[in-house]
Amino acid sequence: MISVSHLVKRYGSRVAVNDVSFEVGRGDVVGFLGPNGAGKSTTLRILAGFLGLTHGTVSIAGHDVTTDSFAARQAIGYMPETAPLYPEMRVAEYLAFRAELKRVARRDRVSWVGRAMEQARVVDVANHLIGTLSKGYRQRVGLADALVARPPILILDEPTAGMDPNQIRDVRSVVKELGETHTVLLSTHILSEVEATCSRVIVIAKGKLVAEGDTKDLGRMRGTSATLVTVRGRPEDARAALKGVVGMGQVRVQPDPRTPASSAEEDRTCSFRFLARAKDEAGGPALVERAVAALVQAGLFVREVRPAEGSLEDLFAELTSGRRDEGDQATADATAGGGEGADA
Amino acid sequence: MRAFWPIYKRELFAFFVTPLAWVLITVFLILQGLNFYWIIDTFATRIQPSDQTPLQAFFGNTVLLYLVLFLLVPPMTMRLFAEERKSGTIEALMTAPVSSAAVVLAKYAAVVTTYLAMWLPTLLYLVVLHRAGDVDLEAAAAAYLGVGLVGAGYLSIGLLMSAATDSQFLALVVTALAILGLFVLGIGEFIAKDGTLLQAFCSHVSVWAQMNDFASGIVDTRRLVFDATLIVFPLFVATRVVDAWRWG
Repeated sequence: MISVSHLVKRYGSRVAVNDVSFEVGRGDVVGFLGPNGAGKSTTLRILAGFLGLTHGTVSIAGHDVTTDSFAARQAIGYMPETAPLYPEMRVAEYLAFRAELKRVARRDRVSWVGRAMEQARVVDVANHLIGTLSKGYRQRVGLADALVARPPILILDEPTAGMDPNQIRDVRSVVKELGETHTVLLSTHILSEVEATCSRVIVIAKGKLVAEGDTKDLGRMRGTSATLVTVRGRPEDARAALKGVVGMGQVRVQPDPRTPASSAEEDRTCSFRFLARAKDEAGGPALVERAVAALVQAGLFVREVRPAEGSLEDLFAELTSGRRDEGDQATADATAGGGEGADA
Repeated sequence: MRAFWPIYKRELFAFFVTPLAWVLITVFLILQGLNFYWIIDTFATRIQPSDQTPLQAFFGNTVLLYLVLFLLVPPMTMRLFAEERKSGTIEALMTAPVSSAAVVLAKYAAVVTTYLAMWLPTLLYLVVLHRAGDVDLEAAAAAYLGVGLVGAGYLSIGLLMSAATDSQFLALVVTALAILGLFVLGIGEFIAKDGTLLQAFCSHVSVWAQMNDFASGIVDTRRLVFDATLIVFPLFVATRVVDAWRWG
């Protein structure tokens, strides 16, 4: 239903989306995952026909978005990030306007608007001014707008952004329901959201596609997450010892909040987070054993060894590490990628 | 072009639902009423006969008309695109199956409709004049054609400025400057040397001279061509601008 091949988008000299290719099949619910500024919104805007592309081809339900933009836009229900709406209109009025704009036949308009309001659960605010609605309701009005012309494809840009946990749960269940009848592509930077709603996931970081697969694979990827080790002794020694271990991937210093900076030299502890080198058979538990042995051998005192909690950042670090040279620079880049740049 | 009608309706709705519209209409009608009152008062108390009719005095040879347009047009057009770009609703609008031309034309038609609706109550002045004496209805029609066309041209410029920026304030200021600039160019007719190209140009673009002509019932095709240019060219550029920030 959605086919993207070698998509490139440049803003002047800045490359927002760099050679991204993926496919979304009929009936898939796909999560488009990435940190802020990764190029998610840009990609979705291109798919929705709001932005032009620099290179590559995008086709929606068989229609090319540049040459056959009208047909492509008609096949899509798009909900922009933050769901911008006209505050001076009432919900039902707004949806009727959107239905007319999207060429819903006059005789169907009332019933289709009613159905969209039911699906998005905004029937109770149908006669409220949009400007007076809470963020959660506005977001759902945006969702109703995406649904109103009954398109086969839904593209939702961060549908749960800015909602409280109850609203998030509501929207997720709506999306899940919709996934049974629609092809859905939704973007998010929340890992658990993808696991809760999507069957497949596409991960993008810094404008590049870094991974693609079933949500189950994502779980596995998370399973191999980093190990955290806390030692007492000189940090330089510990780093050197860890680096020397066979099969060691990234090593990065983890600030340890438990130790006050003023404590005596011999009491000072430091923590390191390390990963197995990608595709290295000697990784896993064996690596942890070897790492601890190496630290002890180097005369350091190991205080704690535990698996680091899998976060999106770790996932990115892992996913990007396989494609980079190992070492501090790569680690620094992978971490910095999380907060860098505005989501264009 | 099927998107024209829903967008046109929504624009009218959006304009009349805000207090700004009613403030503008009120100010407009008060100013025009005062203007009309003074003209009638002068004509009624005049001892020597005048070579002008009240209608000519109302529409032509007066700076008041331009002052009103100058105050009226920029706040009417400033929000057309700038507001939607600022609030992001433009994204929802443009991702529906609509063409840039339909969006531009619908917004323009809505603002022109509003402008004409503002002039509508002034037709009562004709009724007042008619009760006191003869009214040259052809000249009146020409005068209204004149304000309609000049206003439509100004609104077209305003729409372009609103499309070119996402700041309503900037759109307001630049539109006002453009209208003022056009007016000043027209003054050039009286300043530039006779027979020079500059003088010919200034007299061609002179809205002042145009309104004098129209108010006397003279409808010159050159004026019509100029007005058409003033309407069509900014609209065309605005369509390209919308395409540019969309596909650029």
